[in-house]
Amino acid sequence: MIQDKPNTPSAPRFHWSDVFETWGGLIALVIMAAVCSLLPATRDSFLNPENILNIINQKAFLGIVAIGMTFVIISGGIDLSVGSMIAFVGGLAVVLMKKIIDSSGTEWLGVLAACAIAPLAGMVLGWITGLIVSKGRVAPFIATLCGLAAYRSAVLVLMDGGGESAFGVSSFEAISSTNNGIPLLNWTDATGREIALHLTWPIIVFISIAVLGQVLLSHTRFGRYVVAVGSNETAARYSAINVDRVRLITYTLIGLCTGIAAVLLASRLSGIDSSNTGILLELDAIAAVVIGGTRLSGGRGRIWGTVIGVLILGMIDNVLILASVSTHWQGLVTAGVILLAVLLQRSRSE
Amino acid sequence: MRAYLHSVPEPILTINGVTKDYPAVRAVNDLSLAINRGEAHGLIGENGAGKSTLMKMLSGLERPTAGSITFEGQPLELRSAADAMKRGIAMIHQELNLIGELSVADNIFLGRERTTLGLVDRGSAETAALKLLNQLGSNISPRTRVNRLSIADQQLVEIAKALSCEARLLIMDEPTAVLSERETNALFRVVNQLRLHRGVTIIYISHILPEVRRLCDRITVLRDGQYVKTVEPREVDDADLARLMVGRDLGELFPQRAAHLPDTVLEVRNFFVDGWVRGAGFELHRGEILGLAGLVGSGRTEFAEAIAGVRRRRSGSVSIIGEPADIRRPADAIAHRLAYVSEDRKLRGLHLDLSITENTTLANLRAYGFPLLKAAARRASAQEHARRLGTRCATVQQRVSSLSGGNQQKVALAKWLDTKPNVLILDEPTRGVDIGAKQEIYGLIHQLAAEGRSIVMISSEMPELIGLCHRILVMRNGRIVGALPGERATEADIMHLAAGLRENRVA
Ligand SMILES: Nc1ncnc2c1ncn2[C@@H]1O[C@H](COP(=O)(O)OP(=O)(O)OP(=O)(O)O)[C@@H](O)[C@H]1O
Ligand SMILES: [Mg+2]
Repeated sequence: MIQDKPNTPSAPRFHWSDVFETWGGLIALVIMAAVCSLLPATRDSFLNPENILNIINQKAFLGIVAIGMTFVIISGGIDLSVGSMIAFVGGLAVVLMKKIIDSSGTEWLGVLAACAIAPLAGMVLGWITGLIVSKGRVAPFIATLCGLAAYRSAVLVLMDGGGESAFGVSSFEAISSTNNGIPLLNWTDATGREIALHLTWPIIVFISIAVLGQVLLSHTRFGRYVVAVGSNETAARYSAINVDRVRLITYTLIGLCTGIAAVLLASRLSGIDSSNTGILLELDAIAAVVIGGTRLSGGRGRIWGTVIGVLILGMIDNVLILASVSTHWQGLVTAGVILLAVLLQRSRSE
Repeated sequence: MRAYLHSVPEPILTINGVTKDYPAVRAVNDLSLAINRGEAHGLIGENGAGKSTLMKMLSGLERPTAGSITFEGQPLELRSAADAMKRGIAMIHQELNLIGELSVADNIFLGRERTTLGLVDRGSAETAALKLLNQLGSNISPRTRVNRLSIADQQLVEIAKALSCEARLLIMDEPTAVLSERETNALFRVVNQLRLHRGVTIIYISHILPEVRRLCDRITVLRDGQYVKTVEPREVDDADLARLMVGRDLGELFPQRAAHLPDTVLEVRNFFVDGWVRGAGFELHRGEILGLAGLVGSGRTEFAEAIAGVRRRRSGSVSIIGEPADIRRPADAIAHRLAYVSEDRKLRGLHLDLSITENTTLANLRAYGFPLLKAAARRASAQEHARRLGTRCATVQQRVSSLSGGNQQKVALAKWLDTKPNVLILDEPTRGVDIGAKQEIYGLIHQLAAEGRSIVMISSEMPELIGLCHRILVMRNGRIVGALPGERATEADIMHLAAGLRENRVA
């Protein structure tokens, strides 16, 4: 007890808004799940292990990028370039892989190179963005807007406007296959077919990065510096925090996440399409972060919130498909859910 | 100047059993108070006593949890500061609330822009602003961008803003904390004019008791959110007021002076900082408390910032215990066990939306484990500092923004004490701090010096420099113009040197 002088005793008063501020995202997720499991149109198809795993698997790529985005946003930045970057570094990886396999004939060498080059290229690009933002003092919005245009253009040039397929490179396609990973259980689906459900590699990677991200954010010096820089940059500088370096690392980190996601995505799609892959990914990632309760202006945020945000976005897509609602509705529903989640989590003190 | 305008005091404002609860504390507790029309009413109390909270309820920023307020015979139910202004109530806030990117004139008339044909009329706003600023004895140009101004000048703009809306009740929450003597005098003149000629009622909050006694007709003391007593200035002295505030006898304000060791710990030579410091330097001994006096704008803060590596210097050298120390960045200063506690806690000193623990340990995170930080150790350390400094908080996990101004200052101090510095540069460490806490901070400084740490203390309160320091350096126009022995210095000596009436060049 710090209060040595007896202040007026008064119990902390309970406020619903405090509960929502912290748990709003989770509450929204649970309510949505409950509704979907009760609605006649989706009752049977929604709440079963196959479908749930499917949702997570579908959005694992987005989730990995969104965790990088959480760091960037908490530090007071933004990254609009991830959608183009995922296509570019993914494309780079696939092209390189094909070249190596064609010239050397050894498939594993090509696959290994692809798995290495995408995260590496992502890191380098992120690091460059970080330099432009921190040393070059260019606003993150502008710097990454340039990235959005440049990387898309670069991948279009690389593939001459078309795509590069990884079809037939079976060990590459296997990475994101739903038949790979950690076996969970055997499941009889609606048609009576028995299938073995797996915790797929994208899911495993997503969960691992989320756990690492949470630890990094809450329990390491770097994580605390990210929060401090986003909350008050001047005070951070006076506290001997190397603000430029913190910024640089956050952008390198999101580049790395995007690179990892690129490998998984390229494997899942069996290639990269230069004009379509990753379009609007940046907005989905930002949406997931914001639904998760991270403040868009920085200084406050949480990784597990972003994970929930990703799941909510995945659930919206999934349920609309299950209920055979036209995909044209998707934007409206998503907009409504984002607004609702953000309204729920408004802080009482602001 | 204590003449009442009305022979029979007539209350303009009645506060009736008002209570304000925040999530973890009851900031104001069943408080009743009447303020008379045309008086200057002082409001004093310890940090966290609830003064600002009470005033926020009068100016529409907070709403009472219970109780009622009557203003000019009508119930006062405010939803915003704009509501309050419409009713004729203006408040000058403890923390500056200006928009840095806008000009002085734009800030003064913010939300009440003067327009002709729907367009903002800059010219007439600037003329009006100039007039207000002249009344305050300031020569700031209305066109200057506010973030170019010193803190003292910003405070004057804040005051001009409150004056501009012709309020009938003017609330001033520690308006002089950042002002020099001259500016304070100008402010008091304006306040007295407002009262005597325009019948404006003033509520005045300050921790500088002589000032309150000089300006006010009556003084109300609050403690722990409750009303203690209302007194007239001539029936009490500062010690009485302090006793009412703290609830016990304070005794001597300053600790017994102790001798320091002769060896030099810090040597600063020939510092130049563009626009501010022109060849300043000093020597600091082990266990010494060295005062740095001077007028606002004399370059003290800039000098200190340059020593600590947060501000670029043109030239100058530092040596610590005889070894040259190249301090270019704040991290270098920490590595050399030198800490600088900044004067502006809101902008530079603290992360207001982070917790006490977070703030206290931020500059010293290296000490709390790698790669993973030890949460329990950080909390324990924050608790230890809070205990030692007497920080009033419910828990150390509380956000700093929910602390009272003076308690925020203690957290800023704790943050730098946590880096275990050998040399500590304190810039206005008791600004906005109540008298009991001041005494605690003096005791702490004394104790740190007795442990063999050396302290440079920048302060505009001359009595505390005289009462605490071994030596006092006086700075003017970026130079050290004099050195005085602490126990024999007088305020007049310091003022003469600071204002350039006498020169006594050293080093
Ligand atoms: N927004 C808030 N949320 C929670 N608690 C608050 C908030 N604002 C103030 N408090 C608490 O209310 C109490 C009274 O604070 P207040 O700012 O009124 O003190 P004060 O008398 O003005 O002190 P000081 O002299 O330090 O400015 C303190 O305990 C403070 O921690
Ligand atoms: Mg206050």
